[in-house]
Amino acid sequence: MAGFLKVLFRNVLEGPSTDPFPLGATFTPDRLRGRARINPELCMGCGICHNSCVAGAINITHLPDGSGYTITIWQNSCCLCASCRHYCPTGAMSITSDWHSAHPDTDKYDRLEQHTIKYEPCAGCGTLMRPIPAALAKRLYAATPHLDPEKIRHLCPDCRRQEDAKRNAGIVTATTTETVAAREIVSAAPTKY
Amino acid sequence: MSLDTTLKKLSVRSPWLFRINAGSCNGCDVELATTACIPRYDVERFGCRYCGSPRHADVVLITGPVTTRVRDRVLRVWEEIPDPKVTVAVGICPISGGVFREGYSIEGPLDRFLPVDVNVPGCPPRPQAILEAVVLARSIWLKKLGFE
Repeated sequence: MAGFLKVLFRNVLEGPSTDPFPLGATFTPDRLRGRARINPELCMGCGICHNSCVAGAINITHLPDGSGYTITIWQNSCCLCASCRHYCPTGAMSITSDWHSAHPDTDKYDRLEQHTIKYEPCAGCGTLMRPIPAALAKRLYAATPHLDPEKIRHLCPDCRRQEDAKRNAGIVTATTTETVAAREIVSAAPTKY
Repeated sequence: MSLDTTLKKLSVRSPWLFRINAGSCNGCDVELATTACIPRYDVERFGCRYCGSPRHADVVLITGPVTTRVRDRVLRVWEEIPDPKVTVAVGICPISGGVFREGYSIEGPLDRFLPVDVNVPGCPPRPQAILEAVVLARSIWLKKLGFE
């Protein structure tokens, strides 16, 4: 009897424990996985997300004229496992806490996260390529302060290789045969942390 | 005729829910049980309650990709629900096949076989998202009845 009264008084004082949700606000944890997002500034179109997506929700299509690509996530197939976020090398994938997913069947194929990303011409040879995102280039070339990441990120892989060869040739001619060890350290310097 | 309309107006606030497991992994079924059994979510605030017979139901919640073994049984049970009924696909599996799509024993997605009205994607969807879907299904149900 006394235990029942205790529960009754507690309930009267504390109010109902029901979440008032559709009629009022509810609590959303910050890290809740609700909806996958792509940052078009950072996406390189490498396809890691497409290959790691267990639900086959991500598709990357090249534009027919070769001027770019379209990356698409179909939210109705995404199982929110966050594999894409985990494996994305540039950090372009993120998952927001927007969980309001109920929709009528007419909107079934409209729930897309879609971005068309255009290629830019290489600063060296002019072939169309996707420049390395500025933040990533800064991170990649952090160990080599004599390289300008802003300049190098607009070069295609071939031109980067040529630039690197020229630089190494410069080092070889500048340093004579006595400093072989120093040369080896330069070529083996890690570029990624 | 007038008795019929009176009865309809009386029953209009209480759509009863029925749950069909079409080969689900039980994740979505646990979330559906959560909406009914945990006082925090409490789907009975909207007059909805889970019923044991398809003949009593108004809103049917289907979970799981439709597997070969369960397909005909799902369709038979779905046919037993009286019209007007609202079909809700819960989770990504009945909507698109999800992670099981193109499997050898998967016949889905669900809308190949029956008309779906509301989708709630998620793996599984949050209980609050299921509540949103039930509220949406209720408004569609009222429209089908001609009350809204």
